[in-house]
Amino acid sequence: MPALSLALHFIRRDIRNRYLGSFSGGLWALLQPLIQLAVYGFVFVYVFKARVPGADAPGYVPFLAVGLWPWTAFSESLMRATTAIQDNAALIGKVALPRGVLVFAAVASSFLIHAIGFCAIVIALRLSGVPIDLLALPLALCGFVQLFLLALGFAFLFSAVQVFVRDLAPALPQLLMLWMFASPVFYARASLPERYQGWMDFNPFTHYAEFFRATLLHSGSVDLTAQAISMVVALAALALGFAVFRRLGPHFEDFL
Amino acid sequence: MSDVVLVETRGLGKSYPLVFRSRDRLRALWHLLAGRGHPESIAVLQDVNLRVRRGESLGLIGENGAGKSTLLKLLTGVLTPTTGSVAVAGRVGALLELGAGFHPEYTGRDNIALAAALYGLDAQEARAKLPEIIDFADIGRYIDEPVKHYSSGMVVRLGFAIVAALRPDLLITDEVLAVGDESFQKKCVRWMEDYLEHGGTLILVSHSMYHVQKLCRQACWLQQGKVAASGDVFEVTQAYLAYQERKSASQTPARDDIAGQGLEFHLLDLALNDDTTDTPLLLDRGGDARVRVRVHTRDGRAPVIMVGIVRADGTPVYGVSTEMDGVRPLQESENVYSAEIMFPALPLLPGTYLIKAHPLDPEGVRLFDTLERSLTIRGQSREFGLVRLSHSWIAAQTSVLADSIPVDRALSAAS
Repeated sequence: MPALSLALHFIRRDIRNRYLGSFSGGLWALLQPLIQLAVYGFVFVYVFKARVPGADAPGYVPFLAVGLWPWTAFSESLMRATTAIQDNAALIGKVALPRGVLVFAAVASSFLIHAIGFCAIVIALRLSGVPIDLLALPLALCGFVQLFLLALGFAFLFSAVQVFVRDLAPALPQLLMLWMFASPVFYARASLPERYQGWMDFNPFTHYAEFFRATLLHSGSVDLTAQAISMVVALAALALGFAVFRRLGPHFEDFL
Repeated sequence: MSDVVLVETRGLGKSYPLVFRSRDRLRALWHLLAGRGHPESIAVLQDVNLRVRRGESLGLIGENGAGKSTLLKLLTGVLTPTTGSVAVAGRVGALLELGAGFHPEYTGRDNIALAAALYGLDAQEARAKLPEIIDFADIGRYIDEPVKHYSSGMVVRLGFAIVAALRPDLLITDEVLAVGDESFQKKCVRWMEDYLEHGGTLILVSHSMYHVQKLCRQACWLQQGKVAASGDVFEVTQAYLAYQERKSASQTPARDDIAGQGLEFHLLDLALNDDTTDTPLLLDRGGDARVRVRVHTRDGRAPVIMVGIVRADGTPVYGVSTEMDGVRPLQESENVYSAEIMFPALPLLPGTYLIKAHPLDPEGVRLFDTLERSLTIRGQSREFGLVRLSHSWIAAQTSVLADSIPVDRALSAAS
């Protein structure tokens, strides 16, 4: 299938492109979230004295790590994919190629890098004595795949709209920051005042943060209804994003 | 040539949206999401009907901005038509503009891989083609340098080498021959001739009528987004050249104005086979050409009349004057002299040439006016050069010669 080999080519190209000319090469992909984790861990554990509520709650650092990596994959893939069409304007203007491949490759490469980082940090935490259920790691990676579908849906939508309205890309980091703090990445849902806790269900990312904690740290349980709903949401986002992308796709060249 | 239609367009049209402010972009987004067309747009291509069968070669000609590149982009699928339809069968190789699809940060090698992936080859097939591409591009160690360090000629070399190795069913190229140096141009033209001979199909945009006539059998002339003429390459290119000449004639001073300037000698007209209009003369190979020149002299002295033939690109073929041959122009009236020269069975090879005439003073020193008319020799030939020299092969030596002298060396030695 030519589209697939093309997608693989672009994913390889994207990953190489990131670390082209940097000393550490691919290592940087692991280093960056690790530093992030160290900074957040220091600030929240030593400065704010953050604790995860509950009697047999996990330590704060594993709690944060398990939620932060998926979020990094999600938000970074959106930021990169939103400008994927715009950045490749020169290519699109001269070569006929399935444009969706560019968006797919941007999302896939982010997820690939951070999924590897995720596995590495989970294993590292386990080796340092944190009670992580390594057997649940494959299940957690399934959650990554589902999150990938959700991200892909948003990515198709954003990248198509970005061609027409260029305000999206500069506004996106701010929006994603807002979204991150509105999600239970740094805190548990239980830490919120009780009347706000229900609202968290409307945030699609809530489910993922709680899913990873439930599977790997056994903090809370996997709610099958919530799981089904979030799968439907992910597929709906993908369908909507792809529909918009397909409708606007033929006109990209006119507005690039 | 077969009956397989590779390219067919019906009522093809393209309009670009008029977008000035960012508010227009937002409005266009809503219109498109709602499934309506562009609110305001400007048509750059209208109602183009083309049909190219396997093994055919079509030249697209026209002035800048006539819509040639837009048409090519529609054919390759880079652009989506606003009206009408495009159907393209088979694998398409396209060379649109300079460095089409190359990433400047990557080496030539990496860009070859990208181009192969875009064309639909898997990594293994791409690797198999690599040596052939590198060999054809012939850019030495630059193959491992980032493309941003390439000269424009090298970019074209690499782009053409990729297309040449892929051997697509349909080759679409846009004015790329103009950039490479002469030896590479020759290499490209030779490759294209070979490609066409072996059943390849070509759509070529070029401003060089020489290339169009050399490579294409059909031509399509676009003018302001519409097809002005299409059909046999010689008829269409001649119509186009005639149009160009009429256009430039309206910009150069008219004959009467030159007369008014009181030059000592000026040309009244130049007749080719008794035709004094501006249309190019069409001759079959080996046809006769008769050139009649009439000159006005201010003081009644007999001028020297010179007639010459140059190729369309300006290369002189032959020139001769009445004074060289010891002929005196005929005095028609007190101030008008004329001379007529006959070129029987012109040995010119097929192509486009210009016939030029000048009056000189009686001493044959100072050159005054110039008139030129275009002359096209129809036909097909695989011979090189401008004229057919009379020759015969001496049987015993033939094979030795052919083996020892490569064609291009023989050519450069001849020129």
